[in-house]
Amino acid sequence: MQREVYRLKMYKLRFHGRGGQGARVASKVLGTAAFLDGYYAQDFPLYGAERRGAPVAASARISEEPIMERGVIAEPDIVIVMDETLLQDPLTKPVLGIKQGGIVLINTAHSPEEAKVEYKITAQVLTLDITKIGLDMLGMPILSTLAGGVAARIVGLSEDSLTDAVKKVLSEIITDKRLLDKNVAAALYCFNAITPAKIELELKTTDAIKKKSSKVISVPFEPATVSSPAINATGNTPLRMTGNWRVFRPVWNYDSCTRCMICVARCPDGCILVNEDGFPYTDYDNCKGCLICVEECPTNSLGKVREVHV
Amino acid sequence: MAGNGAIKEDGGKGVKEMVIERIKSIKGIPPEENMLPGTPACAGCGGLLALRHCMKALGRKTVIVNAAGCFTLLAIYPYTPFKNSWLYTAMASAPAGAQGIRDALDILIKKGRLDPDEDLKVVVLTGDGAAYDMGLSSTSGAINRNLDFYYICYDNEAYGNTGVQWSGATPFASKTGTTPPGRISPIGSELAKKDLFAIWNSHKPPYLATISPAHPVDLINKFKKAEQYKGPKLFIALSPCPPGWGIDSSYTVKLAKLAVDTGVWALKEAVFGVVTHTVVPKRFKPVEEYLQVQGRFAHLFKPVRQEAALNKIQEGVNEYWNRHKLLL
Ligand SMILES: Cc1ncc(C[n+]2csc(CCOP(=O)(O)OP(=O)(O)O)c2C)c(N)n1
Ligand code: SF4
Ligand code: SF4
Ligand code: SF4
Ligand SMILES: [Mg+2]
Repeated sequence: MQREVYRLKMYKLRFHGRGGQGARVASKVLGTAAFLDGYYAQDFPLYGAERRGAPVAASARISEEPIMERGVIAEPDIVIVMDETLLQDPLTKPVLGIKQGGIVLINTAHSPEEAKVEYKITAQVLTLDITKIGLDMLGMPILSTLAGGVAARIVGLSEDSLTDAVKKVLSEIITDKRLLDKNVAAALYCFNAITPAKIELELKTTDAIKKKSSKVISVPFEPATVSSPAINATGNTPLRMTGNWRVFRPVWNYDSCTRCMICVARCPDGCILVNEDGFPYTDYDNCKGCLICVEECPTNSLGKVREVHV
Repeated sequence: MAGNGAIKEDGGKGVKEMVIERIKSIKGIPPEENMLPGTPACAGCGGLLALRHCMKALGRKTVIVNAAGCFTLLAIYPYTPFKNSWLYTAMASAPAGAQGIRDALDILIKKGRLDPDEDLKVVVLTGDGAAYDMGLSSTSGAINRNLDFYYICYDNEAYGNTGVQWSGATPFASKTGTTPPGRISPIGSELAKKDLFAIWNSHKPPYLATISPAHPVDLINKFKKAEQYKGPKLFIALSPCPPGWGIDSSYTVKLAKLAVDTGVWALKEAVFGVVTHTVVPKRFKPVEEYLQVQGRFAHLFKPVRQEAALNKIQEGVNEYWNRHKLLL
């Protein structure tokens, strides 16, 4: 098999995160920085039927020439995984379609070698604990500008354009000047925190892509009984396991808990149950980690612990 | 179908005498969960918390008629969080859907094909966009026809599902996708929030109430009280929405409480048009405490304080409570 470093005229990236983490803004920061560096750029989110905490994706194309293609990126050169738990989510499959020799950057506390083995990734893997940087530098796990910074480095953009892009994109969203400055600093920190790998594509793969015929998909007409789905089950959403949305998990300290039932009444998802002794506990399979229970407990018997996955 | 006149003639006569078991505290909330975890709603969704308590109060013998909005996502094939039936309708027509289901149930009972004990409560569930704007006329019609149904509006003060655009429920000076504060209009939304309670109450329905996810005892007692009336039973829940309002997901309940404590959201009920306030703060907190913690009002404080707008909001709240002679 012929293996050579293939200089791409166009980079195709996909960002995978959870709603609220900033995948959409990350792609916008990248696209804007590329544009400021003189490239043609495209960035866009993929909206699904889900909400904050649920899997979301955004894409970007960066090119030296005008970009004629549109739509979802099925075979990216670079994938930025902003939430590690997505790698285990059978419905999301963040690395799906990644080219051999492409780059997967994972937001994790683990080393690239560990992550490569754990998630069985055949492409090149880079890792960075972006969540920790976000919590340290911004005080919150919103990773848009940080992930944008990482992507800008991998693609080979300049620090100046990244800085200007973060300022431009964020000033449309937030008014807090200090938070904006912190974001610039965090984006640059991430930019410099990784050593980018070269994308090494096997020509075989690119040839294979070219050969694939693109037939127009045909959707036949179906009667309403088939085309409008009916759910013949009750109360089965717990199977969805929304527990992997959490950044922090609520933890109880029963020494000071008065069993007042306030946390139970405050959980939007109704995850908090009561054990035989009358103490509350949550269903971690589905607790989304909103932390309302922590905020509301009158005796401070609830604390939060950062989720570290794997 | 009885019209409005019929309701008035009934006055309270047609009302079944029923023992209403009021609950006194959070410990009295029914432990049964009729809506299970694992929904696609955002972490910390205020509307979901309100709905969870509504479902506890309503029980499992219900059928929900859900107009398009965030909560249509609760039941996405092949999953549903509900223990009861659920149906999806277009945005403007949930009350019409409810009429169809009510009629079908009545006919089945009349023909002896459905045991009256198996009858279902028909519950319309919509956001504010459907309730205040698009579905207002079909709701007016249903109330006017004295349709026997419940209506729960979770009011997140915007078209949330499509990415937070302005609705008739959006309050003055709020930032939404379609009312961004800028150089020409630094205030954000220039229009006042519609008073849906007053609009619905002009029909004099048997029961109408405002509720809050932070006041589940008040909420459940209102549903218990409503149960005795045949006809429209309507509820509006002010529902903090973390992404739409720019708050942390952990802050939903605090903010819902602040809305009540500052007088922004009046908890009240109306029986055949007669209004009573159910929770009146002993001392009202300044409205600023409610506004300044929300991203959608951040432009009122930074980079410059928009004093005139802030005063206008506080004055609006004072005027409301003065008019009801409840401002001490
Ligand atoms: C007639 C019609 N117009 C527009 C839409 C698109 N749409 C779907 S949900 C939604 C927002 C509804 O807002 P609201 O009723 O406040 O509920 P929320 O999304 O805030 O929960 C819109 C505009 C639609 N489904 N039907
Ligand atoms: S709110 Fe706090 S004190 Fe009350 S039951 Fe929950 S953990 Fe215990
Ligand atoms: S963090 Fe607490 S309130 Fe939020 S979903 Fe988990 S258990 Fe419920
Ligand atoms: S957008 Fe707001 S109302 Fe809709 S699910 Fe999220 S928190 Fe709830
Ligand atoms: Mg709404």
